[in-house]
Amino acid sequence: MTSTANQQALVASQFGPRAEAYVTSAVHAQGEDLNRIAGWAAARRPARALDLGCGGGHVAFALSPHADEVVAYDLSPDMLAAVKATAKTKGLANIVTRQGAVESLPFEDASFDMVASRYSAHHWRGFDAALTEARRVLKPGGVAVFADITAPADKLCDTWLQSVELLRDPSHQRDYSQDEWRAALERAGFKPGSPYRHRLRLEFSSWLARMATPPVQAEAIRALFAQAPVEVRAYLALEADNSFSIDSMVMEACPA
Amino acid sequence: MTDSAANPRKEIDRKLLEILVCPLTKGPLRYDAAQQELISDSAGLAFPIRDGIPIMLPDEARRLDD
Repeated sequence: MTSTANQQALVASQFGPRAEAYVTSAVHAQGEDLNRIAGWAAARRPARALDLGCGGGHVAFALSPHADEVVAYDLSPDMLAAVKATAKTKGLANIVTRQGAVESLPFEDASFDMVASRYSAHHWRGFDAALTEARRVLKPGGVAVFADITAPADKLCDTWLQSVELLRDPSHQRDYSQDEWRAALERAGFKPGSPYRHRLRLEFSSWLARMATPPVQAEAIRALFAQAPVEVRAYLALEADNSFSIDSMVMEACPA
Repeated sequence: MTDSAANPRKEIDRKLLEILVCPLTKGPLRYDAAQQELISDSAGLAFPIRDGIPIMLPDEARRLDD
């Protein structure tokens, strides 16, 4: 079977059927990075906030009590439908959903007091274009917060991380290193702050189940892990059941 | 209830349509309530609204000259 889908279509088709799994995923619904994003919102009380690549909507839900209006924006209509339904269940009446691509935002210049994005950027076809758009729609006195898995500086471990990510989810593009993030944010007109870094443990079977990774790809990941050199085992803190840990980061950025 | 002030959800939607622009040209959009479309005259595209969600993807939009 040969795919004719472009990257955008691939991302939407990977995540559409998995919408419910991402709404209920503990990895996505909780986390110190999410608490920090909520904390920044609580301190700033944005009138209008944007959750860029909202997925299961966890950032939008976290921002909702602290903002007048929250826009949950995503490529996948199924994700947005799930976010809309969950917001209704939670009684979060100030969340609205808009469908589109991160590289060309359908919002006026300087229309948001806060732009947040979590676990989304590694799918973006145009990383620089999306960050430039995020900067464009942010008000001069606003704040952006970006959270994602980060790649290690070590090239060996980097290759293993990206390979395993791609096998699990063919719509994976790239986990960027902290330095790559900083440079890209500066190119887009942001002044990045100091990142908050933490390790994220991924329980192997639920990590695969969430994405409904086909057995042949799951088997390939197991086969790779069985051959992983000690440097990679140490970096991944690889466990007997193939659960592992990776680096995650949340970084605040203001208009430069 | 049709009074937007009495429906906070509708009021928010109205306010957010104010900041919505064409993703390609960043030009203004016209709201066609009957067709449930957001029309970008500058791009010659009509973006559909499905289940209350504006679909701001050019690939999903209707070309106005069709």
